[in-house]
Amino acid sequence: MADPARVRPEAGRPEPGEGSCSSTSSEPAAKPVSPLDIHKDLKSFDRKLSVMMDLSVLQRSAAAAEEEEEEGSSSLHPSPAKKLKMEHDKKKEKRQKVDEDEIQKMQVLVSSFSEEQLNRYEMYRRSAFPKAAIKRLIQSITGSSVSQNVVIAMSGISKVFTGEIVEEALDVCEKWGDKPPLQPKHMREAVRRLRSREQSPNTKHKHILFH
Amino acid sequence: MAEEEDDPGFDEDLDDGGNGVDSGQGKRKRLFSKELRCMMYGFGDDQNPYTESVDILEDLVIEFITEMTHKAMSIGRQGRVQVEDIVFLIRKDPRKFARVKDLLTMNEELKKTLKAFDEANYGS
Repeated sequence: MADPARVRPEAGRPEPGEGSCSSTSSEPAAKPVSPLDIHKDLKSFDRKLSVMMDLSVLQRSAAAAEEEEEEGSSSLHPSPAKKLKMEHDKKKEKRQKVDEDEIQKMQVLVSSFSEEQLNRYEMYRRSAFPKAAIKRLIQSITGSSVSQNVVIAMSGISKVFTGEIVEEALDVCEKWGDKPPLQPKHMREAVRRLRSREQSPNTKHKHILFH
Repeated sequence: MAEEEDDPGFDEDLDDGGNGVDSGQGKRKRLFSKELRCMMYGFGDDQNPYTESVDILEDLVIEFITEMTHKAMSIGRQGRVQVEDIVFLIRKDPRKFARVKDLLTMNEELKKTLKAFDEANYGS
């Protein structure tokens, strides 16, 4: 299966017909980018990247769906049920078009990365928690076995969790005028902030409803 | 970097430092050191993050997983952890929710593709 993290230089070249992309691909990426800028950019990728997880599968299913929808919308006076289905199909088609636009934009962006940015991006996509260790950890807590989907979901969420902490810590670090690498005091302040925003679990305080 | 440890009450159940003489009970082997380092670099930290920071992150992740597991065990089907419970617990956090849905969808598509591929191969 093609690994999206392996950037192919020719993938950045826009398809014929996408006129808007050709102007952006000639933008030079030579300006020096600090790691802090990169982490700010990467923040916005989080959502887009999850779309790009498997380019080939998405594109193939998008192509197949488009073929089906062309046949469905050819009649002149559709019945109410068919009308609903057509609307649903149109929305689906629009969503897939948006996905494809996002994929193309990502490809253009990634093809203009510097060496260091490429490294970091590759680490971002490829790093993951070992499924065996996570499974062992969960099973030691529950005492019974867990399904594979649970392990997949848990490792995915944990990765997002560490991402949130690291990004918050980098914000703290920048705000305090320090430089990376991150120090424990930044991490602790980041956790404190996330907990006050309720983005991080906090079981230190018991919720007492009625005194 | 001993001067960074200025909050001794942070980790109550694990011993402080972690480098140095093994204090026997309570010292868990580091499960995710290598992977966490790569992850921190990917998310914007330096290429060589501090060991203490990696330790703190690992403790946080283990605490997070432990808590999610306990909560998932208490809702839905008691004593078991199921995907639906995790999705329910995460529903308030948009990023994590979206990530879980995407991961599970991708996994389903992958399984379908592999199954179709295997059946095609089996026939020939």
